[in-house]
Amino acid sequence: MKLNIEGLLVYFPYDYIYPEQYSYMLELKRTLDAKGHGVLEMPSGTGKTISLLSLIVAYQKAFPLDVTKLIYCSRTVPEIEKVVEELRKLMEFYAKETGEVNNFLALALSSRKNLCIHPEVSSLRFGKEVDGKCHSLTASYIRAQRHSNPDQPVCRFYEEFDAVGRQVPLPAGIYNLDDLKDFGRRKGWCPYYLARYSILHANIVVYSYHYLLDPKIADLVSKELAKKSVVVFDEAHNIDNVCIDSMSVNITRRTLDRCQGNVETLQHTIQKIKDTDAAKLREEYRRLVEGLKEANIARETDVYLANPVLPDEILQEAVPGSIRTAEHFLGFLRRFLEYLKSRLRVHHVVQESAPQFLKDIFEKVCIDRKPLRFCAERLQSLLRTLEIADIADFSAVTLIANFATLVSTYSLGFTIIIEPFDDRTPTIANPVLHFSCMDPSIAIKPVFQRFQSVVITSGTLSPLDIYPKILDFRPVTMASFTMTLARTCLCPLIVGRGNDQVALSSKFETREDFAVIRNYGNLLLEMSAIVPDGIVAFFTSYVYMENIVASWYEQGILENIQRNKLIFIETQDAAETSMALEKYQEACENGRGAILLSVARGKVSEGIDFVHHFGRAVIMFGVPYVYTQSRILKARLEYLRDQFQIRENDFLTFDAMRHAAQCVGRAIRGKTDYGLMIFADKRYARADKRGKLPRWIQEHISDGSLNLTVDETVQLSKHFLRQMAQPFRQEDQLGLSLLTLEQLQSEDMLKKIAQIAHQA
Amino acid sequence: MASLSEEVLLVVKKVRQRKQDGTLYLMAERIAWGPEGKDRFTVSHPYSDIRCQKISPDGKAKVQLQLVLHTGESTTFHFANESTALKDREAAKELLQQLLPKFKKKANKELEEKNRMLQEDPVLFQLYKDLVVSQVISAEEFWANRLGGLNNSEPAPYSNKQEVGISGAFLADIRPQTDGCNGLRYNLTTDIIESIFRTYPAVKQKYSENVPHSLTEKEFWTRFFQSHYFHRDRINTGTQDIFSECAKQDEKGLMSLVNKGVKNPLVDLLSLEDKTLDEGYGLKQALPSTSNTNKTVKESSNAAIIKRFNHHSAMVLAAGSRKNEVPADQASETSSTDGNSRDSDFFQPPVKKVKLQEAIEYEDLQRESKQKTVALNLKKSDRYAHGPVPLQSQKYTTSQDIINAVNCIQQEMAHYKPNLTQVREQNSNTFLPSTEMVPSDIQGELKHLYVAAGELLRHFWSCFPVNTSFLEDKVIKMKSNLERFQMTKLSPFKEKLQRQYLGTNVSINRWADDFTTGLLFFHYMSVLKTEIK
Repeated sequence: MKLNIEGLLVYFPYDYIYPEQYSYMLELKRTLDAKGHGVLEMPSGTGKTISLLSLIVAYQKAFPLDVTKLIYCSRTVPEIEKVVEELRKLMEFYAKETGEVNNFLALALSSRKNLCIHPEVSSLRFGKEVDGKCHSLTASYIRAQRHSNPDQPVCRFYEEFDAVGRQVPLPAGIYNLDDLKDFGRRKGWCPYYLARYSILHANIVVYSYHYLLDPKIADLVSKELAKKSVVVFDEAHNIDNVCIDSMSVNITRRTLDRCQGNVETLQHTIQKIKDTDAAKLREEYRRLVEGLKEANIARETDVYLANPVLPDEILQEAVPGSIRTAEHFLGFLRRFLEYLKSRLRVHHVVQESAPQFLKDIFEKVCIDRKPLRFCAERLQSLLRTLEIADIADFSAVTLIANFATLVSTYSLGFTIIIEPFDDRTPTIANPVLHFSCMDPSIAIKPVFQRFQSVVITSGTLSPLDIYPKILDFRPVTMASFTMTLARTCLCPLIVGRGNDQVALSSKFETREDFAVIRNYGNLLLEMSAIVPDGIVAFFTSYVYMENIVASWYEQGILENIQRNKLIFIETQDAAETSMALEKYQEACENGRGAILLSVARGKVSEGIDFVHHFGRAVIMFGVPYVYTQSRILKARLEYLRDQFQIRENDFLTFDAMRHAAQCVGRAIRGKTDYGLMIFADKRYARADKRGKLPRWIQEHISDGSLNLTVDETVQLSKHFLRQMAQPFRQEDQLGLSLLTLEQLQSEDMLKKIAQIAHQA
Repeated sequence: MASLSEEVLLVVKKVRQRKQDGTLYLMAERIAWGPEGKDRFTVSHPYSDIRCQKISPDGKAKVQLQLVLHTGESTTFHFANESTALKDREAAKELLQQLLPKFKKKANKELEEKNRMLQEDPVLFQLYKDLVVSQVISAEEFWANRLGGLNNSEPAPYSNKQEVGISGAFLADIRPQTDGCNGLRYNLTTDIIESIFRTYPAVKQKYSENVPHSLTEKEFWTRFFQSHYFHRDRINTGTQDIFSECAKQDEKGLMSLVNKGVKNPLVDLLSLEDKTLDEGYGLKQALPSTSNTNKTVKESSNAAIIKRFNHHSAMVLAAGSRKNEVPADQASETSSTDGNSRDSDFFQPPVKKVKLQEAIEYEDLQRESKQKTVALNLKKSDRYAHGPVPLQSQKYTTSQDIINAVNCIQQEMAHYKPNLTQVREQNSNTFLPSTEMVPSDIQGELKHLYVAAGELLRHFWSCFPVNTSFLEDKVIKMKSNLERFQMTKLSPFKEKLQRQYLGTNVSINRWADDFTTGLLFFHYMSVLKTEIK
């Protein structure tokens, strides 16, 4: 249908529309109009992606000069591919309605592992290996060597792309990862570099967060994207953690040992080159004196990871004299390494700030701040000069250099914690230096500054106001949308007591309590008898799940559950869990029914949807608080309190509730879907917890279902499931939660729609 | 004796059959009885024909052994040697007990198949009654070309009955009971054993290796329940356990399952993440998973329980759907034939595309214009697309053959006289004058006769061209069969009709006459064909 969103003609590729989709588009349009940023929360399964795409594409078509590009960031590879498929659907609809040939170029970009078509390289299993191997075939000096030595292996796909691929832009169309590969195979071009090159002139780019948020990658990939772009972060409920991750570094003794090895290798290589080709080193020196560090900027394949600090922090001056010659720099690295080794020999926990660290290093080994800042840059230059093929081998020394640059660049927002041993195993020495970022706004700041509109959206962003705070930006729109429902297809229940009135909670004091564990077991057992097909249960942590499973096994509860359903359990091994997941789905498909025991914050809870019969009930055992004894977390909480005036408890609860909401939200993926959401912890009943759940879940929790026993839960569930099992047709929804174009245009409906969005 | 080459396993003298004294012989493949003083067997049954043996109760005066055949007939032997009657019978019984099961399997399968066909196809059953029971043709002849055809073709859809799965909790159902003193009793049913075998092939393998050579069945299961394998989470009872290997095999099985990877890319957690952080970056520490040293005993036993549950569930699931798995496996084989793993990319997109499309579909936003349809399950899609193609005969006929045939037909045609009076009119397309006038039982009988005649003719014609001596024999036999059919079935029926419904059923008479003339013609043809050959 064609919609009129405040004067903008929007093509929407479906015959009907949900009211909240219309409302969402309205808010989105206002954000774009204001050229500002927005935070939008809309329940999962209400067609958020297609609404976003429809509106932004329409906006791009209407105002091609105001919005030149859409950069859509998502979290996982399947998500990225889904977005592109939805986009394809939209474009097909455009073509059908307008009859014009589509002139949009949209493509997905992913890592080499997902795009490589080189037969040898692509058969490697790990992304890192693929990257390293690719680098060893495509680096500029490797290719230069080929001129003198034709036996030098290079990647023919890259050669072909380099020779002709850049002359003609990628023809307009929608390119998913597989389409890119097909295209690459047809032309004999490298799809990865083709995609990286094409994102510069593409209308829509879909890729993962890291390409924009991790400075080490963003500087290589996304540096030249136009300012007049709209950036969308989908599934953004965890965006602060992504930001923090991309700026943090951990150094163990093993890292240092490997780094030592790297330095030795470098030393040998330098010696060799000095004997044979001293001019090369002299040339590098000259370049560094003149500050021509970017003389070879065009060589996209040379750099494995760019400078770890954000672009505006990179110094625009020449490398200081003390580390200009290769030997001096190596000596410098050695000293730094020795210093780090001495720091790791501590017997007690040390926590200090970056300035403290710098002061200490100056006092102990006379290393100045300025050369430290150039460390990453200088190392890259050296690796390039020495023509080291497999840069993956030098990850340890790169890590150390990156750490040096980071620690000397940022004086605020980071902390250094040195732990001599793991808290769980105090007898085994395993010293780790954590250099952890505490301020997510550091990494995302350039994105907000550079692009005119940044939209942060997800199914679970409550409470909305916390995100602008911790990411430090001023949104022009903040809205949370409810889910209009013709039937209440979600049923959140809070189980606070067992049948024997024992309070159910995963809190630390009662964690080992047999009565609680038994009651949890009873709950699962009873549910397994009444819920059809699939049940997913989430625990607060992996250790907690292991303990509970073990005691359920001893008490014979699992045996009884097996009478009703098969049991699959998430493990720490991803491959094993994938297998379990597939078998779980198979068991749901063939009618036997299954239970998946899983962990909040685990991979399953973040990336896997349990649509329809794959998840008729989700049980959340306990409140998934993060492990609060961690020093890194404590430091971060302190920082949040000091800098952003967010109380520790508020943040912890917020963090726990967003994960709980993510877990239970996995079961509902649309209005035709239905599912039970069982919160098995009495603490959920408290207003401060409940209030932090997304509105679309909160509003279905009735006062009567705040402190149920297991039996009452079973009764309510039975009733709910029986109701939901009735046929549900399109007519039942029409006019309520599903609108035709005429219905949408009526005055009444527009008034109602205005109430859907709740401005925060 | 009839065939001396046969190995005689047991000879029992003084065995009476039908009040006649004689000798019972148990041979390698059959049981036979010959009357005293005569040099041939009057009774001889291959073991595969025997369904079961019955013996008279111990207290009875007559010591007898009855053999019940699959056909339903039975033969009774009376052991008449007064002093050793019981012993003789026991010996025969024991031997039969050992011999029969060996043949049973082979026979049973075929027999079951025949039985099933007869039960599911009433027409065939009637035909069987008409032709075999009335001994027009022998059972072997009847089945000869039916079973062959069936065995070649794929199992008919209706034979594909759904298999019963395994309860997920079958191990939990084996509840030990105390037997009063210091022991435990486990009650095992064949169902449970079957479940164990299907879920844990390793145990089955152990069973077939050890039972009954080195262990009795009871000992085997006792050890099973005592073993560390059954109580895997508890303390190890010693490594000299015959099941210790099973655990290893289970582990391997799980590993291979894991390594096989998942077909659905949406649940593949390994490829979920797009760009993982390099080692050393990020907040989370690398897991110290490689070193098991810092894991406590309890933790590792917990992990073992979890692993075991995953394995158990996967095996139960696989055991329940083993049948359906075959085509899926074939599909995956074809995709992996291309060697290195990444090349299977070429085959991956279909699954992935479908899953992606499913994931982005909003069924309620679309107008329900397209009806949901059931996918057509085609065995041979090219046949569906192109229609039936005439079978090209595999053998090429030589030009000489063709010339001969043409000559033959020319000859035929020269002598051919159209017998116009016998040509049936178009409008009376059925030979039944009018259905109302003939009672239904007669109609039924007529139908059966018609079908039976058709069947016989089919047999008859299937012998052409007669190019082997076997077929020649068969043609002759079939001709006699046809004649016999006419004699025993057709003529009585005709007479009966004539007796009861004089004159009303001219056309039946005519049909019967047709049959006779037809028969003569066939006869003529067969002779002719034999000559051609």
